Amino acid sequence: MTSLVRRSLLGSLAVLAIAGPASAQDTNRATAFIQATGQELVAAVNDTHSDLATRRQKVAAVLRRAVDIEGVGRFILGRWWRQASAQEQQEYLKLFEETLIRNLSARFGEYQGVRFSLGRSQQRTEDDVLVNTIIERPNSAPFALDWRVAEVGGQPRVVDVIAEGTSLRLTQRSEYSSVIQRNNGSIAALLQAMRGQIAQLATQERQAR
Amino acid sequence: MRLSSLTIPLLAVTLAGSLLAGCATRPDPSDPDEVAEFRQTNDPAEPFNRAMYDVHQGIDRVVLRPVAVAYRDVVPQPVRTGVRNLLGNLRTPVILANDMLQGEPRRAGDTLGRFIINSTLGIAGIFDVAASHFGVRGHAEDYGQTLAVWGMGEGPYLFIPVLGPSNPRDLAGFGMGIAGDPLTWVGQGVAVDVLTGTRAGVTVVDTRESLINTLDDVERTSLDPYATLRSAYRQRRNAEIRNSNDIIAPPAAGGTGYSVGTGVEP
Repeated sequence: MTSLVRRSLLGSLAVLAIAGPASAQDTNRATAFIQATGQELVAAVNDTHSDLATRRQKVAAVLRRAVDIEGVGRFILGRWWRQASAQEQQEYLKLFEETLIRNLSARFGEYQGVRFSLGRSQQRTEDDVLVNTIIERPNSAPFALDWRVAEVGGQPRVVDVIAEGTSLRLTQRSEYSSVIQRNNGSIAALLQAMRGQIAQLATQERQAR
Repeated sequence: MRLSSLTIPLLAVTLAGSLLAGCATRPDPSDPDEVAEFRQTNDPAEPFNRAMYDVHQGIDRVVLRPVAVAYRDVVPQPVRTGVRNLLGNLRTPVILANDMLQGEPRRAGDTLGRFIINSTLGIAGIFDVAASHFGVRGHAEDYGQTLAVWGMGEGPYLFIPVLGPSNPRDLAGFGMGIAGDPLTWVGQGVAVDVLTGTRAGVTVVDTRESLINTLDDVERTSLDPYATLRSAYRQRRNAEIRNSNDIIAPPAAGGTGYSVGTGVEP
């Protein structure tokens, strides 16, 4: 039944693309982008011929291409971005990219047997499109994952992931800001904590091999 | 439950300590960004809440997590699913009441139908036949959500040991849920006390078991787990109030705290 719903949904999306205005085209483009990216991710995660380290590398490569890492990083640092020195900004973006890629690829790398399908609604907001997907894993309840897709430099890019109503970038902005505030507004303290975390993640990755 | 005898003295000690420590540092009124963030974070009692969070973490490390891990190791998955379904079914009267209070006749119909089918064909709710054979999935609803739908604001963020993240509105809803639960009024005597106590204990263990991976992930990846949980709880709660993530909402989800899930990606 669900596949029927999905098919009719895709059908109605196709109709929208032909008849609809420019906004429907954007929605379509974002949806196609997420479908392609999602399939690449699923293929990388479920590749039983390679070991965990290789799978993680493949996942990381897809993410680097699909995610607007700089935009997300700046959003997350929020009001502290302007207070950071040029050098701190640069260092932050470097550390942020590494943290994000390592965290996400470690998480996705464990999702063996994952299946992914487009959900019921794709909605347009003022500057981006929210693409709804359903993630299914063996032995656990399916969950909804929304991808916020914006045009960055003429290309669709992921700017946020929303799991069951919780936005990754909002949660992380709250986390980073809290670290800075608790260190009396020191951005260097955040960078220090990020470096420590990356070292820890690297150790865990080596142990997992 | 043995937990309460441990929590109360601990609570009293930290409560006294943190009240002395006072409230969160007020933002600098000349910095609009700082003021905006302070308002958005909605945690004026942060030092107190962080102390409560530390108390919770202490209890969690010594009791809650080890018990949850043992439960997962010892009890096979089908039995755990049965337990979760049973707890979800016992919560139906509260869900039904709130479906109706929010003026959602269709959802109320779903809940009532599920209760009748699962209580009979599902053998007292052990099997979720309504979802597996009739395609009627469960949804969570509680008095905190109803109060929100009726226009009550959440109030300042609170962290309660054992219960988890909350706020005055959801805490009030939680109390109404207990007071309004037919099982609370079903009778008196030792047998009833044992039953309700067992139910509360099993609920804590079942909830903690469902969150082992999620909370381990938060501990592992967050630079400030307290801030991560605070943000995630509030976002997740708002999504629940809007009924926007129904297709995946756990039927066993409760009214506040950890039992509504942390909202962090599982």
